[in-house]
Amino acid sequence: MNLSHNYLYAAAMLLFCIGLYNVIVRRNIVKKLIGLNIMETSVFFFYISLGYTRNGVAPVAGAGADPTRMVNPVPQVLVLTGIIVAVGVTALALSMVILLHRKYGTLDTDQIMRMARQEETQAAREEGN
Amino acid sequence: MKRLLALLFVAALAVLLLFLVTKMPSLGDPDNPARQGMATQYLERSPEDTGAQDAVTAVNVNYRGYDTMGKVGIIYCALMGVLAVLGREKRGRIQARLDGARVAPSKIVEVMVRFVIPFIILFSAYVIIHAEISPGGGFQGGAIIGASMIIFTTIFGLQEASRRMPQGLRVPLEGSAIMTFFVLGVLGIAGGGTFLTYAWPRVSTSIQPALANWLSVIVEMAIGIGVGFALISILFAMMREEEDLEPVA
Repeated sequence: MNLSHNYLYAAAMLLFCIGLYNVIVRRNIVKKLIGLNIMETSVFFFYISLGYTRNGVAPVAGAGADPTRMVNPVPQVLVLTGIIVAVGVTALALSMVILLHRKYGTLDTDQIMRMARQEETQAAREEGN
Repeated sequence: MKRLLALLFVAALAVLLLFLVTKMPSLGDPDNPARQGMATQYLERSPEDTGAQDAVTAVNVNYRGYDTMGKVGIIYCALMGVLAVLGREKRGRIQARLDGARVAPSKIVEVMVRFVIPFIILFSAYVIIHAEISPGGGFQGGAIIGASMIIFTTIFGLQEASRRMPQGLRVPLEGSAIMTFFVLGVLGIAGGGTFLTYAWPRVSTSIQPALANWLSVIVEMAIGIGVGFALISILFAMMREEEDLEPVA
């Protein structure tokens, strides 16, 4: 019964699991990255809902706002950090994906692994000769 | 088979997480443990301590200044990582395959983008400068600046965009945010406080609140410019083509 009260937390958890499923199952690297971004979004959502206060107001002083009724500002600041890290991770991962696509001409992880293994065995054979 | 295993694993994880959710304090409870202690202190004392009406900005720039400096560093490091992976930008004109696209964007789109971009930049300036008294801040405004330039680049092409924002302009501005933070931090030491003290004890107490307010506005502006231009440079690095592709006419 507590689950129906904490429906925002439950939604964040389900979103996290959807993202994780995408990361595991998809073979296209860009789709894997989208799954990773869904997971990150679920974490942001969870943090922001932790800061929610019933009948709360924005944490802006002035105009006679009551500090006891304001929502919690700390999760908002921490989510800002999280978003920055997510942007950095996504940018770096996408640039590596661009390199992989330039080298192998595909985004399929299984094919890339197969090609990389073939290259490795070929290099080893040449070394043996 | 692999899909079924993954589904089973994720379902088990979902059940575990939902079980934990039932044990959590209820949503929006004002007596939530997360809202005790630090958060209430921030809410009650931030207007006197920092001069910022918005508690989020006060925590971000003032109470957690080190944290924010680290965030700016993360964006800068991400940019350096992207440049290290994709290669440094050569001086002069750069171009993307998009520039040579056979179908030019429609005239309506071009006119609308030209019309809208000044207003987007004006809005980002509002978000950055108004952060002290309303929700907003340097990171949000910087993201809006970056988004306006990304619209411009996708419509008019990388060549035109890099002519408007040459490397010589972008490179100093990317580093401006973390540099401003560092300089202001050291000035805080020179002013008699510790690193990143905005209300310098050496100056007279009458101008301390105004000084703290203006310094945090400067920091927010530097963050906005730094984040915006770092995002633009990341986009340029990703859209750029290798030198050996034939240049478009």
